[in-house]
Amino acid sequence: MSETPDGKSIRDRLRAPADTGAANSGGDSRGSDVTDASFQQTDSRAELASHGRDERQHSAPSAPVAHAIQEPRKADLSEAEARSAERKVAALFVLSFLGVIGFVVTFFVAPFKFTERDNIYFTPLLALFMTLALAGIGAGAVLWAKTLMVDEEAVQERHGFASEIEERDATGQALVQGFEQTGLARRSLLRNTLLLGAGSLALLPLPLLLDLGPYAHKEDRFRTTAWKKGVRLVRRNGTPIRIGDLALGSLETAYPDVPGGVQMADTPTMLIRMRPEELKPRKGREDWSVDGHIAYSVICTHLGCPVKLYEQQTHHLFCPCHQSTFDASNGAKVLFGPAARNLPQLPIYVDDEGYFVAKSDYTEPVGPSFWERKS
Amino acid sequence: MDSAPSRMQRLSGPTVIVLALAVIGMLYTAFGAPAGHAKDDPTTEQSMAVKAGRELYLQGCSTCHGLGLQGGAGGPSLIGVGESSVIFQVESGRMPLKAGTVEAPRKKAKYTTAEIDQLAAFVGAHGGGPKLPPGKLNDGNLQQGGELFRTNCASCHNFAGAGGALSYGQYAPPLTEASARVIMGAMQSGPENMPRFSDNQLTPDEKKAVVRYVQFITKAPQPGGAALGRFGPVPEGLVMWLVGITALVGVTLWIGARA
Repeated sequence: MSETPDGKSIRDRLRAPADTGAANSGGDSRGSDVTDASFQQTDSRAELASHGRDERQHSAPSAPVAHAIQEPRKADLSEAEARSAERKVAALFVLSFLGVIGFVVTFFVAPFKFTERDNIYFTPLLALFMTLALAGIGAGAVLWAKTLMVDEEAVQERHGFASEIEERDATGQALVQGFEQTGLARRSLLRNTLLLGAGSLALLPLPLLLDLGPYAHKEDRFRTTAWKKGVRLVRRNGTPIRIGDLALGSLETAYPDVPGGVQMADTPTMLIRMRPEELKPRKGREDWSVDGHIAYSVICTHLGCPVKLYEQQTHHLFCPCHQSTFDASNGAKVLFGPAARNLPQLPIYVDDEGYFVAKSDYTEPVGPSFWERKS
Repeated sequence: MDSAPSRMQRLSGPTVIVLALAVIGMLYTAFGAPAGHAKDDPTTEQSMAVKAGRELYLQGCSTCHGLGLQGGAGGPSLIGVGESSVIFQVESGRMPLKAGTVEAPRKKAKYTTAEIDQLAAFVGAHGGGPKLPPGKLNDGNLQQGGELFRTNCASCHNFAGAGGALSYGQYAPPLTEASARVIMGAMQSGPENMPRFSDNQLTPDEKKAVVRYVQFITKAPQPGGAALGRFGPVPEGLVMWLVGITALVGVTLWIGARA
């Protein structure tokens, strides 16, 4: 772009505006030496024409119109200014190179040479050098474009959207011809079995859609957990929890003693111990706790966060996500926050060996609400 | 003649025994007795500490907690709270209490470590209670400590020990300044609203592992630069959007205005 076909540089032509002035002011640059040679290269029509497949010229869009900048820049007029601008751009590019070198050196040197105290500089240094590397290229490119590159605005008309009528006919013919060549029109067995096979593909996603409907809950997976009568409460490492293990004002996270019980999403339970007289069991749940030990689901009934922030003096259970607060001494009743239901309580007792055991599964679904939930 | 020496012999037996007993008694009085008495002697280290702790207690604590540790309108009873509780409360500066706030804030400790040990000995002598385990408090297994911390502590104190909010203005304090004794004392005594962790729930070795992990995670270098309080993705995202994106939009506008 810096050299035009007549061999003159942009700067030469800008110094002598009379050369291009007429073409630019006329608005029609078909004959302008500024544009024809350079811009038509980007015209796909011209490419087609050069391949000999489309000789038509009537549909070719008008060639782009270039407007020279009104005010020549310093670098356009003075070779010394241009050199100076060039040096500035080059300096930015070198800065970018140094940034890359610095990044690589930091990355490889830091693990061997940095002490633990220096380590805090590692990531900031990487960031600094990466900034230099990227910003150097970017700023250099901007400066280059603004000072040295040809500064022209060009307008190019779009060609019509529709293909030519001949082209459309040819495509249609090719399709018809292609269909004939498959032989499907004559071979009805082939055609019918193809329709059968391809048509039945539509059935494939149907079973997946079923999972969105009521069938998914047929097994009551949302309503039941792995807790059941006689299942021991164990810690994360699998050791069972014995009565007396918990001090007053303690909380222990308990899982069911079943295979994979620690990994299940709906079973985590917290076992809390408080003074028996502090406990106000809900009606019908008087025998669900043992000597001040009471067990609730960890999962918030609002959106399922773990409610394990237990305050042993107030007996508040606090959900860190949306500040729902439950009263552990009073059936995990909601005191505050967006949760609509109390935390489900796990009925527990102590077996002959002194270990905590579940009396049954949770009597209501644990965790957040869902469509089919009635309570 | 025959009987005289035999009588002498008959008498010499008891005489020797009496003499021997006398010598043993004298030897015991000379060497054994002082050692035996030492256990009740008020000059020994332990009872000295209790005595000194009593003085400190009467001056600094008895106004609220009562002359006999029985508690009162100003403060709870300290009978049976144990040495660990005293070490946590006093070494972290929470006691003596500054004002009746929702939660006692951390302050500069008012007593030296030696004085704190004396206070702890005095309170521990009344009703027992948990005391710090012997040995180094932070020589546990770091990896085990991490697992136990995330299971038992991180829900309130944050995964990096930065603390967090609780209900009604209460909060779980950050662990960044807590000493090994303070962390151990807190786990053993369950101060304020923090649950207690008995030795059956977390063995002393497991508690030591937690102490080591807390000290590791709160002192660990921050290779990412500014930690933003170590509160995780929320403040990081906030800074990214408010500062980072705003700066980028500003630069973009500037470039656009210059074009």
